Amino acid sequence: MSLQTNTMTQSPLVCLRELNKEYGNFTAVDHINLDIRKGEFLTFLGSSGSGKSTTLSMIAGFETPTSGEILLNDASLINIPSHKRGIGMVFQHYSLFPHMSVRDNIGFPLDIRKVAKDERDKKVDEILQLVQLEAFADRRPSMLSGGQKQRVAIARALVYEPEILLMDEPLGALDKKLREDLQDELRLLHKRLGITIVYVTHDQDEAMRLSERIAIFKEGEIVGLGTGKDLYRKPPNAFVASFLGNSNFLKINVTGAASAQLDKHHIILDDLHVMPINQQALLMIRPENLQILTPEQAKNEALINGFNQISGTVNESVFLGESLTCSITIPSGEQLISKNIATEQPDLEPGSTVFIRWNSKHSSLYSKWEQSDINKNSAQ
Amino acid sequence: MLLSHGSLGWKLKSSLYIITGVIAAFLALPIFFIMALSFGSSQWLVFPPPSWTLKWYERFFDNSQWIESAITSLQVASLTSIIATLLAIPASFALVRGQFRGRDYLYTFFTLPMVVPVVIIAVAVYGTFLNLGLTGTLFAFVASHVIIALPFAIISIINSLRLFDKSIEDAAVICGAHRIQAIIKVTFPAIKPGVISAALFSFLVSWDEVVISVMMASPNLQTLPVKMWSTLRQDLTPVIAVASTLLILLSLLIMIIASFVRKQSNHH
Repeated sequence: MSLQTNTMTQSPLVCLRELNKEYGNFTAVDHINLDIRKGEFLTFLGSSGSGKSTTLSMIAGFETPTSGEILLNDASLINIPSHKRGIGMVFQHYSLFPHMSVRDNIGFPLDIRKVAKDERDKKVDEILQLVQLEAFADRRPSMLSGGQKQRVAIARALVYEPEILLMDEPLGALDKKLREDLQDELRLLHKRLGITIVYVTHDQDEAMRLSERIAIFKEGEIVGLGTGKDLYRKPPNAFVASFLGNSNFLKINVTGAASAQLDKHHIILDDLHVMPINQQALLMIRPENLQILTPEQAKNEALINGFNQISGTVNESVFLGESLTCSITIPSGEQLISKNIATEQPDLEPGSTVFIRWNSKHSSLYSKWEQSDINKNSAQ
Repeated sequence: MLLSHGSLGWKLKSSLYIITGVIAAFLALPIFFIMALSFGSSQWLVFPPPSWTLKWYERFFDNSQWIESAITSLQVASLTSIIATLLAIPASFALVRGQFRGRDYLYTFFTLPMVVPVVIIAVAVYGTFLNLGLTGTLFAFVASHVIIALPFAIISIINSLRLFDKSIEDAAVICGAHRIQAIIKVTFPAIKPGVISAALFSFLVSWDEVVISVMMASPNLQTLPVKMWSTLRQDLTPVIAVASTLLILLSLLIMIIASFVRKQSNHH
């Protein structure tokens, strides 16, 4: 198997160019452009109907694009039928062949390719060993656990050494604990083999846990692309901020290159933000980036340069073991949620006055947004 | 309400047993009756039979007309079964997988022969085959039986095809198999119980069909039910009870095979 080569200068393995898919009047995938790098683990993240699965289906060849181009190693895939694309795929429910043994399931792609029996058996044995299923080789899929089925499905998809492995919500049907185990297993397998994986999920935790890069889909478009860390820390737009993790949104008026008015407070902005002056903007702060101080603490600890401070009243604080979340009403009437390591936090009684501080560098600012972007969607 | 009254539970229970028993008897008694008569010695079908005999069976198997009509029935039913199933497979794929306007209407159309009174179909095919000069041929029997067997075959295959997860076929395709190859190697084994049921039910539909067959029959070519019908019109003989018994036994055998196939498929 090839080693993991993840250099950015290399030409991409798969390119999607202005890829478009329409069903009647409905645009499922809206002119997307994307480069998939060789060896990377890329996740398509989005809620149902966002176009992520349709895009994957077009790469696999089960859906035909309305327009646009799909390139694999610079060659067009558009007119190549699924069975000749040489792509590996793991389906939502694994889709193992129920009437065949594990060995024959894995051997199927080789049988179709008319690989000689000796070589076929050798390859199947090798991959059985790789996924640690030697002991189950003669069982039927119905006799396997969810995790074992996943490994058979991966083995079947890898046995013919495809350049890219597509995975369509393969863990969707499993319970949380098993999912996490299989996610770890999958991440290790990817590291070991260095194969390019494109993974589809609606679960942001799963996307974070597995992927090197995440493409966030919304209404047929990719609205965010980058590492989980970058997308979480500096979301490119309010939708991504809201979709990935929890977030506080505050409407502010920009008054200068690095200053703004929040209700009656003057606050400073990270001067990396370039915003039109005298316009409303949306400030986003993650709950864990809000520090909550009692009036006494606020008096004793000087405000560090680059930090903002506003006052607020505690509504409710909830102890969650490792963390403490707190809902606070600020003078403008808006509510903020904070989340801090519990051991560092004094008890906060409902109704008590507190001061909220945050580092202006740990906030994001948007000049354009839609109300639906910031209403936390709980489609998970 | 009586049904929800706890204190009447045992009464209700026993009355339910009795009602079920009476209905079962109502359905099964004529069959036992006719079977008993086929072994009875009375020429006038006296019940209970005064004594037991196998002579009516000897009469049946000695008479070449009875044997020929039984063989014709088997031939017609077998051919109907094969042809209806072969037609139902592609039709079912189109009705389940197809993305075209009027698909649901087409499904209704294909199942129409189940709803239309058989006598209307019988008159229609009789008129048609009479014009073509085909009445009394094996072709006419099979063709007309396929019409009424097809809905059963299509429903049976459609049901198993709807239950089949298409992504399993897609998996075979992405593994490198051509669509047709994937259907043969993966889809077909999965829907096999449905296909076998389709064949068995088509066979049964043809095997005990009488209304159309009476119209298609000629003195030289008739199925077992037709022979029974025409014999019955001339005289009442226990040989008819023998023919009925044989007809029932084969039907029963096929029903048992069909339920066995269903059980097998449920095990998956």
